[in-house]
Amino acid sequence: MIYALDSVTKVYRQGRAETRALNALSLRVAPGEHVALLGRSGAGKSTLFRLLNATVRPTAGTVVFDGRDVSTMSGAEIRAMRRRIGTVYQQHNLVPTLSALDNTLSGALGRWSLTHTLRGMVRPFKDDLAQALRALESVGLADKRHARVADLSGGQQQRVAIARVLMQDPQVILADEAVASLDPGLAADIIGLLTRIATEGGRTLLASLHLVDLALEHFPRIVAVRDGAIEFDVASSEVHDDLLTKLYANTSLPAVQEPHERSDGPLLNCVR
Amino acid sequence: MSEATDRSSTASDSLLDGPLPLVTPRGLLWTLAFLATLAISWRGADVDLRSMFSARTAADTGRFLTGLFPPDFSPSFLRVAGFAALQTIATAIAATVLSLVAGLPLGILASARLWRRGILVEAEGRSAGTLLIASLSRSARAVLGFVRAVPDILWAILFVTIVGLGPLAGTLALAVAYTGLIGQVYADVFDAVDQQPLEALQSTGATRLQIFLRGVWPQSVPALTAYTIYSFECAVRAASVLGLVGAGGIGYEIGISMRLFEYGQVLTLILVFIGLQLLMDVTSRRLRGWLNSGAPQAPSPSRRFFRSSGVAIAAAASFYFAGFTPEVLEQRHVLQHATRFLVAMVPPDFSRAFLDTLGYLTLQTFAISFIGTIIGVAIGSTLAVPATASLVRQDPESAGRHGFATRVGNALVFWSARLALNVMRAIPELVWVLICIVAIGIGPFAGAIAIGVHTGGVLGKLYAEVMEEVPRAPLEALYALGARPLQVLLRGTWPQARPMLLNYTMLRWEANLRVSTLLGLVGGGGLGQAIYNNIQLGFYERVTTMILLIYGLVIAGDWFGDRLRGRTLRQQTPVLHN
Repeated sequence: MIYALDSVTKVYRQGRAETRALNALSLRVAPGEHVALLGRSGAGKSTLFRLLNATVRPTAGTVVFDGRDVSTMSGAEIRAMRRRIGTVYQQHNLVPTLSALDNTLSGALGRWSLTHTLRGMVRPFKDDLAQALRALESVGLADKRHARVADLSGGQQQRVAIARVLMQDPQVILADEAVASLDPGLAADIIGLLTRIATEGGRTLLASLHLVDLALEHFPRIVAVRDGAIEFDVASSEVHDDLLTKLYANTSLPAVQEPHERSDGPLLNCVR
Repeated sequence: MSEATDRSSTASDSLLDGPLPLVTPRGLLWTLAFLATLAISWRGADVDLRSMFSARTAADTGRFLTGLFPPDFSPSFLRVAGFAALQTIATAIAATVLSLVAGLPLGILASARLWRRGILVEAEGRSAGTLLIASLSRSARAVLGFVRAVPDILWAILFVTIVGLGPLAGTLALAVAYTGLIGQVYADVFDAVDQQPLEALQSTGATRLQIFLRGVWPQSVPALTAYTIYSFECAVRAASVLGLVGAGGIGYEIGISMRLFEYGQVLTLILVFIGLQLLMDVTSRRLRGWLNSGAPQAPSPSRRFFRSSGVAIAAAASFYFAGFTPEVLEQRHVLQHATRFLVAMVPPDFSRAFLDTLGYLTLQTFAISFIGTIIGVAIGSTLAVPATASLVRQDPESAGRHGFATRVGNALVFWSARLALNVMRAIPELVWVLICIVAIGIGPFAGAIAIGVHTGGVLGKLYAEVMEEVPRAPLEALYALGARPLQVLLRGTWPQARPMLLNYTMLRWEANLRVSTLLGLVGGGGLGQAIYNNIQLGFYERVTTMILLIYGLVIAGDWFGDRLRGRTLRQQTPVLHN
């Protein structure tokens, strides 16, 4: 198992208010698996991803990455672990004032020493440069490498973020709502690109999505999260409308939408 | 996809052409200009590293630092320090009252909307009367601009010459300087009010005065109050410093104790000074809170009587302690002396020989500000990194064990960096000059170091704030891929913070350019020193010339700084490597 989560609970405290983001969630992921996570906004998917790349720690339960309990790792070990995990975010989280090339190069920071980083700021090393350019080429942005990221379109920015992941060359790719800000056509392209590079590198891929069609098309395993726990965890062939309707039904508001066909329902184009 | 953003679309032959060239013509030009300025300033500010790192400097500095401890807390000296603090506050209060009395009418007169342009004026048509008042308004504006541009400490040394040593000179100097500030800001506030209510009033046939009282004034009150409180805070700070040139208060005592080598007393006075500032912070914050909440209910007549008589007594006491004692006011010779001084100040000395010496002094002044700012940038950026909480203090959320020792060590580094920055910032430049003189002697180099230390404190705090406020998401992404904090600083924080950092540095340099004209009044070189010398020698017509020069420099610096800052902010930064 690359990931083994055992009854993980995460509670955010802000002053007196407590938000229970995850509630005794357990999940196992095998190396090389491609998993799509479904669920309403606020179901706990983003928190789950933060636990998976060790940027937050669980309130209770254990997160085991590749056989090691994350809570026992030292700072250096955490960094070594993070180096093996690439993350693509909804808002791509690139440095807007830097070029596409520089953002891609930053993907290798986990491998670089401090002196290497400093020298690379004056003039990047040939090897790094070649690798970054290959990464940008495989996302089709080699010709935009000197453009500031802030000047690129949303889809291009997301591709730079993927190039950064390629540069990082991780064993695991986490994609947290990576296509939620893109139109459906672009979203399909990006998901295709992600599954392609994951397959080619034999990498594990976990992606959260709002577009059910896309998830069913590209991912063999579907994990649904609801109210901080796993609602269902099945092969994509076993996903029915009933399951989906229940997953997306609002618990606090009466359901306004009739059950509908999957191909044209509002869920499918739920682009935030 | 816009092709305009792609800088390499025409030049890309091989994909391995790498980043943009290390040396671009524009970059080279800027570097050369910088190096040339640095070289000139190095000479101009008499930078002398050998004497700075000499055994004598080390011994003098050591003697000073050991002399600071223990601070002098003997009852007799505490009485002196307490009285000085009282005098400082009294000076600030009296000066603020006076500057309100003079600044408010001048501000009203200088308002463009009321007298010169806009709907209120255009509706009335032109007549000799309106033209006269328009030109009066314009001259009021110019006078305010001039008064504001001449630094308060310069006014102080002029008033010391006229009325003699003591708080009265400080009060008058602050009153004049703050009349300029308050008048100009008030005029700006009056100009910025919503015009539509004024138009409505005008259409009812209200006169200009009625429009002002019932339209402009009610809209302006919140802004005026806020600025007045702020200016009072500044006045307290300024009143403490003015004493260094003989105008009473804490600064006066610091100057005396320095000259007597009583460094323990100096530390006490500096602590009192810092305490005074904290007190002002708290008072003004509470005052603001009280004003914002709105007076809950009208006080009863008897309470109102007590309150207003309390205020009146406090004001009278302030004026008394600020130097308006009956004896001083009765002295006839003060007026005569002042008249003689003013007459001697005109006409300004524009002789060739004198103007020639001014050229070098101006260069020296510029050099002090430049070297000082560079020292400040060095100190500030070194201390800003450990003083940035998000870089040093580990996020308790982040996973993994945190060694207790590391956490304590980091907290220690963080708080000592903050403390160092706050101390450097809290002590004014002119006091730093006195301290630097102890170590390396009178001259422009002492001035440059003094500016550098104070600027280091100011910039360090600003830098840390800017780095704290950089968007977090890109940094988190870098942490999440395994980068170390310093790498995140270099490749995430710095590229995002750079424009703001440059902007603040430029603003500070502008401020330093003003300050460097004055350091000489206490021995830090530049124009200030020449002013001091010429006053001592009685060449008042030369002083006039130099005041005009400082006015010109300040105006030019403001103009140039505005343009430069506009440029750096607009300038885009496409790549790391250049």
